Amino acid sequence: MRRGDVARTFLWIVLAIPAGLMLYNLARGHVLAMDLLHPSGEMSVRLMILALLPGPLVNFFGRNRFLQGWLSIRRNFGVAAFVYAMLHLAIYIFDMRLLSAILDELELPAIWTGWLALFLMIPPAAISFDRAMRALGRRWKQVQRLAYAALGLSLIHWLLLDWHWQPALVHLTPLMIAWVLRLIGNSRNRTLERSGI
Amino acid sequence: MKSVRTILGLGLVASVGLSLSSPAHADGDILCNSGPQEKWQPVKKLKKQAWLEGWELLKVQVEGDCYEVYARTENGQAIEAFFHPVTLRKLVVFRRGQEIYRAPD
Repeated sequence: MRRGDVARTFLWIVLAIPAGLMLYNLARGHVLAMDLLHPSGEMSVRLMILALLPGPLVNFFGRNRFLQGWLSIRRNFGVAAFVYAMLHLAIYIFDMRLLSAILDELELPAIWTGWLALFLMIPPAAISFDRAMRALGRRWKQVQRLAYAALGLSLIHWLLLDWHWQPALVHLTPLMIAWVLRLIGNSRNRTLERSGI
Repeated sequence: MKSVRTILGLGLVASVGLSLSSPAHADGDILCNSGPQEKWQPVKKLKKQAWLEGWELLKVQVEGDCYEVYARTENGQAIEAFFHPVTLRKLVVFRRGQEIYRAPD
């Protein structure tokens, strides 16, 4: 195994720990399936944020070693966010038990926003490997942007379910700061270009 | 990419629309003014109350000064209900963040 592979395997073991704990507690009867809906969904959102943050940060701070390392594993975070979203769905199905009950609440805004967010994550997750990246070229990045829409919908889904805007905002804040930095960085670069430096 | 911008725009419009159109229903808003816990009805009686509703009880907890019940209705709907701890009156019922019942004053 190459060094990169070892690191990646280690990363995925770490990423799998929360899921393992959730399933362990469920199997032991320590928690109900409904108790795991929130943590699995939240985990997915957090991983998505970890995938989205390094881009704008690199834009602003340039490529230092830390950000370069983060950037090189960001796709793993994105895929893990999708895996946790699927776990979230599996727990939901397990909790609801009846297909009729699931279909019955599909029309509720708090529910369909979650479904839509999950569907929007499928294309970016499905092409998250090197060959697809090379084959798609510029289009690859465009497809990955669906993650922004998925994240937005996930936060709306979350907000509509528990009506506490603070936790959702806390999760969004680092991204908003990073986006502002990117804007500042972009305009700075343009000024430098104009002045011919 | 134009379609992504469209989706983001739609998401924004939907969120603003939803936030304007939905009634306020943060569960933190519910007050029972139930007094000291020693005078509360036992959880056993609360469970019976939920059973009389025809619900399958999932979880009971104290939320603020109210009893909160997580349950499934006969049609399999996941609900969250608040009961007054002394009178055991059903006060408010939520379904996936939406208020579906509120006791008349």
